[in-house]
Amino acid sequence: MDNMNKNDFVTLAHGAGGRQTAELIDRVFKAHFSNPDFTGDDAAVLPVDAGKIAFTTDGFIVSPFEFPGGNIGKLSICGTVNDLACMGAKPLYLSCAFVIEEGFPLAKLEEIAAAMKKTADEAGVRIVAGDTKVAGKGQVDHVFITTTGVGQLTEGVRTSGAFAKPGDAVIVTGDVGRHGCTILLARNEFEIDADVTSDCAPLWGTVKSMIDASHDIHVIRDATRGGVGTVLYEIADQSKVGIRLNSADVPVAPEVRGVCGMLGLEPLYLACEGRLVVFAPKSEAPAILEALRKGPYSANAAVIGEVVADHPGKVVMTTEIGAQSLLPQPGGELLPRIC
Amino acid sequence: MESAKQIIDSYNGRKLRVMEVCGTHTHEIFRLGIRRILPPQIELISGPGCPVCVTPAGYIDEAVMLALEHGAVICTFGDLIRVPGSEMSLAGARSKGAAVKTVYSPLDAVDFARENPDKQVVFLAVGFETTVPAACLAVKKAAAEGLANFSILGANKTMPNAYKALKGSADAFLYPGHVNAITGTAVCEGLVKLGVSGVVAGFTADEILTALAVIIRLSASGEPFFRNCYPRVVRPEGSPAALKLMDAIMEPCDAEWRGLGVIPMSGLKLRPAFAAYDARLKFTLPPVAGRSNPACRCGEVLQGKCKSTDCKLFGTACTPLHPVGACMVSNEGACSAYYQYGDILNG
Repeated sequence: MDNMNKNDFVTLAHGAGGRQTAELIDRVFKAHFSNPDFTGDDAAVLPVDAGKIAFTTDGFIVSPFEFPGGNIGKLSICGTVNDLACMGAKPLYLSCAFVIEEGFPLAKLEEIAAAMKKTADEAGVRIVAGDTKVAGKGQVDHVFITTTGVGQLTEGVRTSGAFAKPGDAVIVTGDVGRHGCTILLARNEFEIDADVTSDCAPLWGTVKSMIDASHDIHVIRDATRGGVGTVLYEIADQSKVGIRLNSADVPVAPEVRGVCGMLGLEPLYLACEGRLVVFAPKSEAPAILEALRKGPYSANAAVIGEVVADHPGKVVMTTEIGAQSLLPQPGGELLPRIC
Repeated sequence: MESAKQIIDSYNGRKLRVMEVCGTHTHEIFRLGIRRILPPQIELISGPGCPVCVTPAGYIDEAVMLALEHGAVICTFGDLIRVPGSEMSLAGARSKGAAVKTVYSPLDAVDFARENPDKQVVFLAVGFETTVPAACLAVKKAAAEGLANFSILGANKTMPNAYKALKGSADAFLYPGHVNAITGTAVCEGLVKLGVSGVVAGFTADEILTALAVIIRLSASGEPFFRNCYPRVVRPEGSPAALKLMDAIMEPCDAEWRGLGVIPMSGLKLRPAFAAYDARLKFTLPPVAGRSNPACRCGEVLQGKCKSTDCKLFGTACTPLHPVGACMVSNEGACSAYYQYGDILNG
């Protein structure tokens, strides 16, 4: 351990599987992730309850790896936890695999691990397995993380992108486009200063509050890459329905709107990392909204539109002058490496 | 007092053709769905206002030549990368090994040149009076620093002579507020004497609707007219500092517009004192006569002679992902706007 403290950077030896690898795991990962299910064995052995599990995986390569409102560690927990939550599954266990660039500062790795632990605790999930590889300088950009998770499905809840029905209300759980906007600004390519923080957050609590309020929810999807606009087109396509949107009802933070105005971007197509798009019968919407607005990450939840039987596969927006306009299809100009 | 929307809604006069000549206007008009709330006698035409749309194929050929034959690093605004040249776009050149870098400002290209003294860096200077000052600033900075590896491939354009060339395509122009913020309003006032009407318009829903309502009111007399409907940004004298900078670095020249041909004195080129920063001279490029796809009707679209949807290629061979014509490339192009925001039920 003494050697480690003098050693400020990750080296190829840390990934070689020997003593230094063990030291890295002890100092960074065991120290932060410690829990009864996180053992030194080849695989975690876990109890399984009756019923069904949800199972998912996600890789994270965001650049820059730290940004206002989070870092790649927090993001890597939120991404997988939220994917499970969208299926109505309570996140139980996660694994995480790191690919670290030679020369990466150990202090930064510790910050990332600490953020992962904090976020996992909040989401009520345990990190039970991991892997560490070190790649040569320039072979990866700082650090890449892959997380895999399992969750327990809630009985009586079944959501899918194919379940949206005419008459459903379309709800977003908060203002849109924060994460994409934050990353855009954090790259400093535009020399625009704006006080924008990522919406990156673990959303199991948000989902639980909704399903406690109503089991009659058709679709829950997290609006990550491609933003809310892309999700709407995905659902319209999968469920073979039309969607009508009221642009005035879409919550957008003033600073995000300002940046989008300057750069000619549509906030509906900027990534979120802590926002859900929810489809539920209009009769359920008031109870769902009431529950959402009590939550820490969904105080600005709003109904932004409705599902219709007309124009299947298309999203039509009522614009600020009251005219109807097609929401453009997701394009190829999405920002790369946002998550 | 009647609101702009009431004036527009209640219009029952003669047919009015209004041409917008700014890509941002085109985009906003489509995004807001303004065409759908206009009475049938008012027709909006998307004129040559998007810098990418008016860039001729030959210009792309020159950029490809600089990249592939001269090994220059091409620095450009992102939109231009997918514009088709005679043989290939810059994206195509990149797949053949060309170095093409997206920048957000010409000054980024100067920075890149300074940081990479072993590379020849060429900035693709397209755009109207709104972007010309930044290109001039880049050249001025490179000259002050004595950067020998920076140059620009110029295709900057100015609007005044384009309005004259387009006279008759429309009853009134929606003048581009951002351009007038630089140039001021004297040019537009001068155009009134030539029988060209128009109003300077801003870019919000209210500003565009107000400008259209003013056009309706002023058209009633039948006399040519001008109004500045964007006074919060556009001053009569424009931006003297930007105009002075432009005049110091560049001078007027004839320019080719995609689809419109050569319009006399509608372009800008570097003054002789800055010839060292002119990529055409520096690399002694031969004259290039670009060829566009003959089926593409971008040129007619830009003059309001046909709608995007009248083109056989529209939505079939030509889509935003696989553009044939320049108007389908940029977000601000008329064809792209038609495609993206197009007909709700039949599109």
